[in-house]
Amino acid sequence: MADTTKNLEKAPAQETALAERTKDRPVFMPPVDIIEDANNLYIYADMPGADEKGVNITLENDVLSIEAQVAEVNFDKHTTTYAEYGIGDYRRAFTLNESFDRDKIEAKMKNGVLSIVLPKSEAVRTRSIPIKAG
Amino acid sequence: MKYLTPFRWGRRNLPAGREFEAHPLDVFQREMNRLFDDFFKGSDLRPWAEEMEALGAFNPQVNMTEDDKSITVSAELPGMDEKDIEISLSKDSLTIKGEKKEENEQKGKESYYMERSYGSFTRVLPIPKEVNTEKAEASFKRGVLTITLPKLEREKQSQKKIKIKAD
Repeated sequence: MADTTKNLEKAPAQETALAERTKDRPVFMPPVDIIEDANNLYIYADMPGADEKGVNITLENDVLSIEAQVAEVNFDKHTTTYAEYGIGDYRRAFTLNESFDRDKIEAKMKNGVLSIVLPKSEAVRTRSIPIKAG
Repeated sequence: MKYLTPFRWGRRNLPAGREFEAHPLDVFQREMNRLFDDFFKGSDLRPWAEEMEALGAFNPQVNMTEDDKSITVSAELPGMDEKDIEISLSKDSLTIKGEKKEENEQKGKESYYMERSYGSFTRVLPIPKEVNTEKAEASFKRGVLTITLPKLEREKQSQKKIKIKAD
């Protein structure tokens, strides 16, 4: 049972050796689903609170990184009475080990879920080869 | 401890990779500990949350903030549509219900990571103050549900500052 455990609480992002952050707010690692079919690789990331303006996706040297800024929610004079989740930005990076058609990568943000479609390049696509009867 | 349990002597010398059987007493003690831990876990607004999460079911997390006019409840529901969310409000509790569906058909696809969770959920939250149920509002933006519950007039006034007289 322990192997199937999913952590539903937001996990802090793993610090990469990038520049230090100057903002004083937590950074979370968004949970993702990565799915592959014959032609594409799909990445879905849960990033509630972020919209398309705040998301930054970069692909550099086979490292795909996702960063999202969450708009500050400001309730004037509100005090927190009960809190289960923290509000912060999101960051996560993946190393891609296949070649993708870089010009055709598409990303979309809807209802707090980022979906990225990475089309495989012609060379690595799986093709079914018809067998001719002799 | 090892010296008091002669039946475990030498167990350490097993070749790596082989699991040794736990002694029934150990298992019993662990079970008892778990039972007591669970029993005394205290008042959680998410009963069974851990059990549900262990199964990978979706159980959204909520935050509650308050000022003198209203109570705001927000919940993170990424990937859901406002049509899939049902909110009901009674005098002293707020219920958020819904189902988060998997958007992608798995046929002919291979998945590498499955960290996101899906499923139906129900959260019932007690409301600490009396609120005007008629004027409650909800909005769903960027995967975050925000419910605003205005407090009743008399609730607003019930908090009164008491002055301390100096002699």
